[in-house]
Amino acid sequence: MKILDARILIIDADPEVVNFLKHHLGNQHVIESIPTGIEGIAKGSSSEYDLYFISMSLPDISGRDVLHAIRDVHEEAICIMMSSNPSIDSAVQTTQMGAYNYISKPFDAEKILPMIHRALERRWYILEARRLRQERENNLAELNVDKSRLATVINAIDDGILVINQKKEIIFYNPRFLQLIHTDRQILIGDSMFRYLPQSLQKQLCEILQKAESEGKTNAIKQEIVIKPPLELVVMANTATIFGENGQCLGAVSVLRDITEMKQLDQSKSHFVNMVAHELKAPLAAIHSYLKMILDNALGDDIVTYNTYLKRSLERTEALIELINDLFNIFRMDSKGVKRNLEKVEVATLLESLVEFFKPKMEEREITVNLALKHGLYINADSEEIRRVFTNLISNAIKYNKYEGHIDITCVADGRWVKVSVKDTGIGMTSEEKDRLFQEFFRAKNIYTRNITGTGLGLAIMKKIVDEYAGRITVETEFEKGSTFTVYLPRVEN
Amino acid sequence: MSKKILLIDDDVDLIAVYKPFLEKQGFEVQAAYNSEEGKQLFKSFKPDVVFADLVMEHFDSGFVLCHWLDHQPERKNARVIIFTSTGHETGYRFSTQTSEEKKWINADDYLEKPISPNDLLQYIKERC
Repeated sequence: MKILDARILIIDADPEVVNFLKHHLGNQHVIESIPTGIEGIAKGSSSEYDLYFISMSLPDISGRDVLHAIRDVHEEAICIMMSSNPSIDSAVQTTQMGAYNYISKPFDAEKILPMIHRALERRWYILEARRLRQERENNLAELNVDKSRLATVINAIDDGILVINQKKEIIFYNPRFLQLIHTDRQILIGDSMFRYLPQSLQKQLCEILQKAESEGKTNAIKQEIVIKPPLELVVMANTATIFGENGQCLGAVSVLRDITEMKQLDQSKSHFVNMVAHELKAPLAAIHSYLKMILDNALGDDIVTYNTYLKRSLERTEALIELINDLFNIFRMDSKGVKRNLEKVEVATLLESLVEFFKPKMEEREITVNLALKHGLYINADSEEIRRVFTNLISNAIKYNKYEGHIDITCVADGRWVKVSVKDTGIGMTSEEKDRLFQEFFRAKNIYTRNITGTGLGLAIMKKIVDEYAGRITVETEFEKGSTFTVYLPRVEN
Repeated sequence: MSKKILLIDDDVDLIAVYKPFLEKQGFEVQAAYNSEEGKQLFKSFKPDVVFADLVMEHFDSGFVLCHWLDHQPERKNARVIIFTSTGHETGYRFSTQTSEEKKWINADDYLEKPISPNDLLQYIKERC
């Protein structure tokens, strides 16, 4: 193997040398020549030639310096040194410096040409080796890119990943895994899993490896694991066995997913369901006991008590219907798919009509009302929903007011808001009661509220509605003095 | 001497039924509408039997109350019964089958609402 079209550089001022080489090699190869050492270094370094012929005696600098400079740039350059006064010393010296050969001038073609062929052959091997090396490097580079791409992906995954081998040693994990098992300790590859993993995960891994051994096939276990009880960090651990090509079990891989939020949601849902069940059952228990008393003839001829019992049963039944309606409203608000018919609602007119509606109830308890409403203020809302908000406010102001109490209702513009306040002279709230006011099913329990029925959902619904319109509710209250509920809703121009 | 019964329940209607009914049967009955009133009456009235509602101010008010009762010296002379609509199908899973379970809820027994006044009377006569 040898190179065709080799690029050859001759650094020599001697025209005989140049002519000789051009004559013998010129038709197969590309030959350039340079007469001085400095220029030779410049040309010979800027690009790599396949072969260099360097004269030991140049007009400016020594051939050794040229050899040194060129080999400095091109480590594998094949340089043939030429001298008209050859000496053993300089031959040894230049060979030690990496020269390929040292020949004397004038040339003997029979000796020189085979040597040049060998040099070109060598050059071919050098290039071929270089090509292979490059190819291998490219492959490795690709492999590394693949590997690091995979590593990047695995490290970025929001699930924790753990791989253990048959000996239950940890052989791989990603950063998320450390977070999920809540350890600050650095795990070393090859460490025993028993030193680090939560017990429940250890148990799962042992179980699956044992099963793999006895059954000899892939299996998987999915299980919830509480890392920080009671429910602060819960993960779903999904573990599967890894089998090699020969069917032997190599270990197991666990994927941990944080399901804390889901669990908490689940728990609050089931708490809500329990509360609903209780709230539905409690009035039924009351009605049940009233009816039992009546049907068991336990009242004798006490007509007054008899009537009271029936009246209370009816009231509790009505409250139950109201509760069921409120529950529907809560579910409707929570299920997001609420259809709203948005329209411009003039707030003052709506409030006036509601006060008119509640007049009989107010008169029943001799409650006076004062309205200070600015007309011409609009909000963009579903009139049904907004009616529910104000109905709730006014009905609470009546229900929780004192006999012969008073209600002040105002409606004003406040910046970009329509501000509606309903102030009563009722029973007010303690600060603990105020804090829990918008909680579902919360009802203040004290001597004043004992006989007032309510679903415990009114304010929760009201808050959900006001939140939907990006508004807010504030409450000022003093126990036994009264409360002021203020609702802010975004104002729109007519 | 007639038995003293303390009813602790935030449902005004239940008390409206049971209190006069039990009084008519010859018991001495006092009623509390929340845990705080219940505690005060327990100390002053010194009942023989306590019926305590479970869900009052909080979902577990009755348990908290029973825990408090358990630390009162008067407790050893009284029988405490949790009386609730939140029974086995809904909400809490508890029972008084074993002494350990009884210890856990600090109550001697529990009754699930609704219970008719006559059945309640029967229960008091037989078990209290």
